[in-house]
Amino acid sequence: MLMLALESSAKAASAALFEDEKLLAVSVSNAGLTHSRTLLPMAEDLLRNLDKSVRDVGLVAVAHGPGSFTGLRIGMAEAKGLCWALQIPVIGVSTLEAMAFGGPDMDSSMLCCAMDARRGQVYNALFTVRDGRPVRLTDDRAISLAELEPELNSYGKPWILLGDGAELCYNTLDKDKLSLHLAPEPLRLQNARGVGLAAMGKAPQPVDALLPVYLRLSQAERERQAKLS
Amino acid sequence: MLILSVESSCDETAVALVKDGRCVLTDQIFSQADLHAVYGGVVPEIAARSHLEVISLLAERALTAAGITRADVDAVACTYAPGLIGAVLVGVNFAKSAALALGVPLIPVHHIRGHIAANYIAYPELEPPFLCLAISGGNTMLVDVRGYTDMHILGQTRDDAAGECFDKSARVLGLGYPGGKPIDDLAKRGDDTRYELPRPYVGQNPYDMSFSGLKTAVINIAHHCEQTGEPLDKAGLAASLCRAVSESLVGRTMAAAKELGYTKIAVAGGVAANSRIRADFTAACEKAGCALYIPPMKLCGDNGAMIGAQGYYEYLAGRTADSRLNAYATMPL
Ligand SMILES: [Zn+2]
Repeated sequence: MLMLALESSAKAASAALFEDEKLLAVSVSNAGLTHSRTLLPMAEDLLRNLDKSVRDVGLVAVAHGPGSFTGLRIGMAEAKGLCWALQIPVIGVSTLEAMAFGGPDMDSSMLCCAMDARRGQVYNALFTVRDGRPVRLTDDRAISLAELEPELNSYGKPWILLGDGAELCYNTLDKDKLSLHLAPEPLRLQNARGVGLAAMGKAPQPVDALLPVYLRLSQAERERQAKLS
Repeated sequence: MLILSVESSCDETAVALVKDGRCVLTDQIFSQADLHAVYGGVVPEIAARSHLEVISLLAERALTAAGITRADVDAVACTYAPGLIGAVLVGVNFAKSAALALGVPLIPVHHIRGHIAANYIAYPELEPPFLCLAISGGNTMLVDVRGYTDMHILGQTRDDAAGECFDKSARVLGLGYPGGKPIDDLAKRGDDTRYELPRPYVGQNPYDMSFSGLKTAVINIAHHCEQTGEPLDKAGLAASLCRAVSESLVGRTMAAAKELGYTKIAVAGGVAANSRIRADFTAACEKAGCALYIPPMKLCGDNGAMIGAQGYYEYLAGRTADSRLNAYATMPL
């Protein structure tokens, strides 16, 4: 069975095709064009180049957040359109978990996945690698770098930084105290390969149940809550 | 030809099924008005989030309600501009991936063209050319509809849309959001000569309009009463406002019809639901011997059917798109 994976949570967008858990092809676009222009054509091209039809796709995996609100919605609206039309299920995976699955897989590696969430925060989750697979140490959360630092320190191990917030962490956190390493560039940024790998073994959902996980209210909601409390 | 059409440009998510541009099999509309009411206006991020939550559900309901299968769908149409960009993006990306997966053409539709096309659903005999006044929360324009896809703007608002003027006025009158309906209801009980309000003419083009001065005048009257303790005749102010807006719109439309020799006049958009505007158009058209077309209330506001109606004619004109289709906040008509 063919699985299409989509990632559009940050600046680059990517699509990947898997057949029975085997990666067939990946496409990444980082040209600065909107994901609305690039993501679906990339998926279409992957299928065409492999002589497959969109009707061969039996499952769609998509990064459900956290990430750029608009970026996430583009990928998820496309996932919904495909799954609804093809009457196939969908798997939403955490952007941060997908990042870990796309990262280095040497046993015992400690992975710190981070995206710049602005306002002094990162979207973050921590993982360790066991038997070649990332295992969660924390939930996905929005956390300030000031809070993250002691938490990383408490494990007493070197950390591999992943994601589009990796450099921010590397440049901001105390490198004397913590042992920090940027993941090699080809593995650092989130992409659809990681989304597909993270989706394997997860239960497919009906399309209507797919919901984004923003980890943050809209600005209007935040301001309103602040006013009310 | 059966078109599945998607609308998500503002605070209504809609999926409709329309046959040959004129016959609506179903129009599933989810209005977010309640979500935005507490903020006194549409919050773009909240709108975009809500669209994504309901869109596949509405598509499925549309199929069920029409009693058809996916295989019966001949094309997918969607609003691709203008609108709140985050909101439009949801509909566009859902529609284009659905079209790709169904193996059918994808048809981008301009939202205002859709509003105009709501008249084709309401009036099966209506064909271009005709003159159309498109009035909504975001746009106010007088359009020379020469053909189904050949349109020219004769004049438009230089600042606020007519609907914006109603919404902002409703806010100062404490009527909440959306303001069109409560203003309309209140105006029915008021004296439309109670307050003197401006009817500005702008620039060289006699068909251009302006509503910001009118809005400011309403706000000033309300504030003046608040400060001086003078009682505010809310119903009178609402009635005076409706009259001023209506006279601005109806006067220009009738003048344009006369100058261009049109005897068919259509009105479209959410503000076309205003009863004062409907009544004034009815009277003016009767007097001038013109045929008047105004869609029923449910086709005035944003809906999916109007996108399917216009989508049919866009398709006939060869205006289809591929999976590179993007969404746009603004777009010439
Ligand atoms: Zn509209």
